Amino acid sequence: MDKTVKKEKNRKPAARKLVQLYAALLYNAHLKGFIDGHIYSGNLKALCVPGFNCYSCPAAVGSCPLGALQNALNAAGHTAPWYVLGMLTLFGVILGRTVCGWLCPLGLIQELLHKIPTPKIRKSRLTRMLSYLKYGVLAVFVIILPVWYGVEKGLILPAFCKYICPAGTLEGAVGLLQNPANSTSFYQLGALFTQKWIIMVAVGLLCVFCYRSFCRFLCPLGAIYGFFNRFALTGVKVDPARCNSCGQCVMKCPMDVKHVGRAECISCGQCVDACAQGAISFQCGKITLKGPETGRRADPEPVIRKRRKLGRIAWAAALAVLAFALVCFNLPEPAADQQNAVSAVGTEEGCLMPDFSTELLSGEAFRLSDHRGQVVIVNFWGTTCAPCIEELPYYEQLKQAHPDVEILAIHHRAGAKKAKDFLADKGWDHIDFALDSKEKGLFTLLNAADAMPQTIVVNPRGVVTYNAQTPLTYEKLETLYREAR
Amino acid sequence: MTRRKAFLIVQSLFCALVAGLLAAGALSLYFDGAAKQAAGDLFYAMFTRERAAAWLLPILPLFLCSLGLTAAGLILGIRDENADKPVRDESLPRAMSRVREKAASRQADRKTLILRTAALLIALILIAAGVLNGGLEDVLAKGIAICTECVGLG
Repeated sequence: MDKTVKKEKNRKPAARKLVQLYAALLYNAHLKGFIDGHIYSGNLKALCVPGFNCYSCPAAVGSCPLGALQNALNAAGHTAPWYVLGMLTLFGVILGRTVCGWLCPLGLIQELLHKIPTPKIRKSRLTRMLSYLKYGVLAVFVIILPVWYGVEKGLILPAFCKYICPAGTLEGAVGLLQNPANSTSFYQLGALFTQKWIIMVAVGLLCVFCYRSFCRFLCPLGAIYGFFNRFALTGVKVDPARCNSCGQCVMKCPMDVKHVGRAECISCGQCVDACAQGAISFQCGKITLKGPETGRRADPEPVIRKRRKLGRIAWAAALAVLAFALVCFNLPEPAADQQNAVSAVGTEEGCLMPDFSTELLSGEAFRLSDHRGQVVIVNFWGTTCAPCIEELPYYEQLKQAHPDVEILAIHHRAGAKKAKDFLADKGWDHIDFALDSKEKGLFTLLNAADAMPQTIVVNPRGVVTYNAQTPLTYEKLETLYREAR
Repeated sequence: MTRRKAFLIVQSLFCALVAGLLAAGALSLYFDGAAKQAAGDLFYAMFTRERAAAWLLPILPLFLCSLGLTAAGLILGIRDENADKPVRDESLPRAMSRVREKAASRQADRKTLILRTAALLIALILIAAGVLNGGLEDVLAKGIAICTECVGLG
């Protein structure tokens, strides 16, 4: 192989890496989230991104399709999950598993880990068998458990996110914990975090030795897109007139494919270079994105030149979009100074709690300063948060046991409209409930990172004696009350 | 053993060691905290910023060594050459010819087009139905509030 061909071949995978990096940056354009510790909470989060990207990552600007799917299936008893299924079908039919190969940040991380020079595990009959495991993970953790818990038991359980997802641990948990503003989140770390941390480390280690192990063996999103791969608009296509069935494409493919372009194919394009017949190309409909550029069956020079020119135009447009997104999502907010000034007053333990007022669900008004001389417990919760719902009966129990305590439970502005219906038959009559809204901004005023559940205990002198983002048991609540009194 | 092989094995050991220490550190903090909580200290925080730093800092030199080795390996072009070799599979030739036959038929092309169009229409109908039934708001609600349990915090 002459030097030019070699150079050309080395250049191609780099283009894919650039697209992967671009997608990772675009999905996570809210970079200031890493600095201020807040997640992005704009309306764009109603849209799912095609790739695997935790929506609790401080930088994420879109929702994870898999997290959204589990949440939608969890709520299948009262709201049919049409929207998320529609988004997944749309991504699947347009891109198929091209998402995995080109647009998935977790795929990029796995490929970078695989670059570490160690002996590598090659694909084999065993890896091919293991590649079916992801369908089991999809069925059990993404579909059966969330539907069963949601519809039968009325509980929230995004089982894959909760028990397995390494993206959630890396981008969500570690992404939030790295910021000192979220140091109260450390209180809740326990068995679950330890388990997920170990899973993340194990997956990372496996990726060093085995190409895209998570993607190949465990990723339910890849399993979903795999169903569409056969007829997806974008992907690697074989020209039957040129193919001589030599099988080089499959033999050189790092994934466990049986045929090019089928369920396991992530359209990385390595087979395009491997095919001596020039029979394989990477296409979007009738447009060839990558075709044979070397060898005797190479595309004609004008075609290649035109393709490269179009590629440059596409890159320029894409970079303009990225620059626009980075500027928009990272502009300082005008109210930020005011928020910081308020938080400096103190929701930290030992500080005087800032006074605030709100309207209760019962229609009455609540002002913190009216409750001086009483222990006040402020709880932040949401109907989408399972631990929040599990701990609310303890607050009711505490109020019944100690009528002098004032308990205010503030529902997050997200899904606040449904909270009233949710509370209708619960019988938690001793707790004062309030709904947060964009205008009230109580979470912003008192809560660091929109993380739930969070509890703030204020003693009779108005001083914060406890502030942590962790679910509480009745014993803990009782102890906190006694200590504050 | 060649130098290349030795390099790859040393790097593997470094990676395994770093991963092992990361996992063992978390486990030790957890068991230590669980014992303290069982002894009656209900509010004992298993992981704190300081404890996490004390656990992670000793691993840092090892991690940096591994990073340095990786950089050296990439610059010197040291890699497992077997990784690039084609994997032979006995079942391939027959499977490939089947694919060629299927791909060659015009019927297959038409079927693909019909499937693609139908799936696209279904997707658009589902999205519209989802926007109308509140599914869009549900995704937003989940996305803008952190569910600490979902990301593995607790």
